[in-house]
Amino acid sequence: MSEVAFTEEVIRLAGDEIRTCIQCGTCSSSCSTAHLMDNSIRKLVHLVLEGRKSEALASESIWLCTSCLLCTVRCPRGIRPKAVISALRQICEREGSVSRDASFEKIFMDQIRSRGRISEVLLSAAYALRNPDAAVPIMEMGIELLSRGKVSLNAGVVKGMDEIERIFRELGND
Amino acid sequence: MDSSERPMRIGVYICHCGLNIAATLDVEELRRFAETLPNVVVARDIQFTCSDAGQNTIKSDIAELKLDAVVVAACSPRLHEPTFRRTITEAGLNQYMLEMANIREQCSWVHMESPALATQKAKDLISMAVAKASLLRPLETESIPVSRDVLVIGGGVAGISAALDLANAGLRVYLVERRPTIGGYMALLTDVFPTNDCSICVLAPKMAEVYANPMIRLMTYSEILAIEGTVGHFRVTGVTKPRYVDPTLCKGCINECSGACPVEVPNEYDFGLGKRKAIYMAIPQSVPLVACIDTNACIGCGLCAEACPADAVKYDQQPEEFKLDVGAIIVATGWQPFDASRKEEYGFGRYRDVVTTLQIERMLNAAGPTRGEIVRPSTGEIARSVAFIQCVGSRDHTVGNPYCSRICCMASLKNAQLIKERYPDADVSIHYIDIRAGGEGYEEFYLRAQRLGINFIRGRVSSVEEGDDGLYIHYEDTFLGKTIMKRYDLVVLSIGLEANRDAEVVGNLLGLSRRPDRFFEIAHPKMRPVEAHIDGVFIAGCASGPKEIQVSIAQGSAAASKAMQLLFKGEIELDPTVAFVDREKCIGCKLCVDTCPSRAISVKDTAFVDEARCKGCGTCAAACPVDAIEMRLFSDEQILAQIRAATAVKGEYPFIVGFLCNWCSYAGADLAGTSRIQYPTNIRIIRVMCAGRVDPSFVLEALRRGADGVLIAGCRIGECHYVKGNLHALQRVEVLRGLLREIGIDPRRLKIAWCAASEGDVLARKIEEFVEELRDLGPVGTELAAALPSGKV
Repeated sequence: MSEVAFTEEVIRLAGDEIRTCIQCGTCSSSCSTAHLMDNSIRKLVHLVLEGRKSEALASESIWLCTSCLLCTVRCPRGIRPKAVISALRQICEREGSVSRDASFEKIFMDQIRSRGRISEVLLSAAYALRNPDAAVPIMEMGIELLSRGKVSLNAGVVKGMDEIERIFRELGND
Repeated sequence: MDSSERPMRIGVYICHCGLNIAATLDVEELRRFAETLPNVVVARDIQFTCSDAGQNTIKSDIAELKLDAVVVAACSPRLHEPTFRRTITEAGLNQYMLEMANIREQCSWVHMESPALATQKAKDLISMAVAKASLLRPLETESIPVSRDVLVIGGGVAGISAALDLANAGLRVYLVERRPTIGGYMALLTDVFPTNDCSICVLAPKMAEVYANPMIRLMTYSEILAIEGTVGHFRVTGVTKPRYVDPTLCKGCINECSGACPVEVPNEYDFGLGKRKAIYMAIPQSVPLVACIDTNACIGCGLCAEACPADAVKYDQQPEEFKLDVGAIIVATGWQPFDASRKEEYGFGRYRDVVTTLQIERMLNAAGPTRGEIVRPSTGEIARSVAFIQCVGSRDHTVGNPYCSRICCMASLKNAQLIKERYPDADVSIHYIDIRAGGEGYEEFYLRAQRLGINFIRGRVSSVEEGDDGLYIHYEDTFLGKTIMKRYDLVVLSIGLEANRDAEVVGNLLGLSRRPDRFFEIAHPKMRPVEAHIDGVFIAGCASGPKEIQVSIAQGSAAASKAMQLLFKGEIELDPTVAFVDREKCIGCKLCVDTCPSRAISVKDTAFVDEARCKGCGTCAAACPVDAIEMRLFSDEQILAQIRAATAVKGEYPFIVGFLCNWCSYAGADLAGTSRIQYPTNIRIIRVMCAGRVDPSFVLEALRRGADGVLIAGCRIGECHYVKGNLHALQRVEVLRGLLREIGIDPRRLKIAWCAASEGDVLARKIEEFVEELRDLGPVGTELAAALPSGKV
């Protein structure tokens, strides 16, 4: 993807308003994880508009967004900065250039697709199997939660799974 | 023409324009052709028709050959129509007995490579002009006497400036102000940029002048209730609300009565910072200097009446209605501040130490609630650190105000300077997105602020939080790329300017249109800055958008001078090229009322066109379902005659009849000519005042007469000179296309296009495209033949 095509693709995914960004920083100063980010969300938008694809996609910030949407609520230009993050995540995934371990997101989405909901037990189990190092420190807490009945072992499936499948297909996941 | 009259005698003058026309067109052939046309008694070719010699030829022909009408085939009527109208008037003809055939801009210059086809087109254009000229009627310009009085609505600085200029020129002015005093927001400000003059010191003399001027009748605490009539004679009804204080007796001492008053309420003239009594004077410099009782606060104890040494308090005062007859109205209704509590993240209304620009203006004002001290309202202590947050309620999509309020940067620069001058140790920061300091002396003013040590931080503040020891603001310093939280004693929200909601009534009474930003719309966003769409109505100051004081003053003066120009002679000339109603035909359906952009049509039993208001666009005539509305110029019969003349020969295929609006498309076609942009000769252009003038019958007649296509071109959407004429045209085209489909004609034969006066190339390309499209469709009627089962016509 060329630099221009990259910019156009993000705009297609996240909305035309991005072009009207005035770099005021309302989004980044509203952001609850801004202090952890290498590039602020404001700067990410600038990188996108400048077509600086590799810098934008390599940014750790993309994976720190908690989707609280305060940026989107407050943006004075009606831009959806959160949608920019989502677009960048999508492009990363499509291009296989996810710089970090995205296995959690994958397991999460796989479960949604197969059950229409998340089962905490299955999710933690699947994640723990793939990432034993990450799982060990929290195992104790898991057991305690389980013993107090805070975690349900029932992993149901929602009604209308065909609808769920349709949504996935419409969003281009075959 | 009545059959009893002798036949019309027309002279045709074909201009060589040096070689501009003659190099492409066979002028001699055109002249011989013109001689053969009905009613033509003389046809001449002239080297330069606009020269004195050329004009004299026309004049002597008019005298010797007793001509009734003149056709000049030359350049665009947009260039020399006024010239030749003058020529024929000097020879004793009515100025409207002229028709021009545009054979230069719309023929010789755009068809330089096909002289034969261009000459054929020119013949058609001349024949069309002669056909129209045969139906021209003399039109008399009527003058009506007007009232020379002017109503100024709004007593802020723009209204004051307008009123004084008019009064000084000798016109009587009625100045109506809703509040108990004139002066507007300017009277409440502290010093004003870029000179840091004391605001009231420069304004108060003007306010006093208004009061003293015998030509100005000042009506404060008054509102407009009704406006009828049109330019020259607006009949205005208003009411003066009771102050419960006799203005002829009140001495303005105020301390006696308000000292006795036991009721205290927040003072709206301090924006809630200070208090006032139920009987009060808005500001010490109020004009008129008369107290006023706030009935919402008054408990009726009667103490003020007892205290008043002049016995001026009158509890039985009644509202007084007034009626005015004025020739013009100046709307100077001003603005209203953005309600800062709508930006919840900034905490205005929750945190006492978050204040607005207007409150800091009052604090800085020596006559204000803190006597000029900058204090934290929560503690009353001097504020040691102050943050200004810019663009609160401006440039903000989330509150519906995408526009820049234009004055807030300068206001904060000024207030920050004043604070820094009074408290040199104070930490003063301005948090901005862009500093907009465009104006004489403004950038220098910015420099001065920087030199004083004010901090400029680029980044919009996202939120304000109250902590135990002060306010914390969150922002990203976008130059550093760091998100920061910083403590301040006082936060000033630099609130934007909004359209005054209280002025909506006046706007509706007058029929003013409003822009998407809710401010009143002016007649042209660039070229007519103080005129409304309605004749005789002018707009000055912030009523038409945020402005600084000096621009408001200039607009007040400009509006005054426009009103003077209109009324000075005591009479106005009405343009006779307007619409009129055939009362026999009218069925009173009121369709025309809504199409009229000038609100010139009213319907009682039948429609009536107020000729003083009508601008002659003709959209109503096209809309009328029973053809009861007719235009005095560009009449149905004249345009139909042009269509018939255009389609008489049909010298080429495909053959297009075009209707182009005078202001944009026709001008665009002229520009294509002056730019020598070449396009096919297939189109015959008929000039109309507005695309909205094109009656469905014109389109049908053209197609019936064998035109292969009809092009309607108007101003770009949003740029119509009659506001919405092009939209009406579009709507009609859509209906017409359905009709064509039903009768078996391919709807693609009707094309509508938008083209600005600057877009000659766009128009040329549209014509080119249309010719190609029509070539594909085949001659008109092909589709009818194809529809027959046998395939025969």
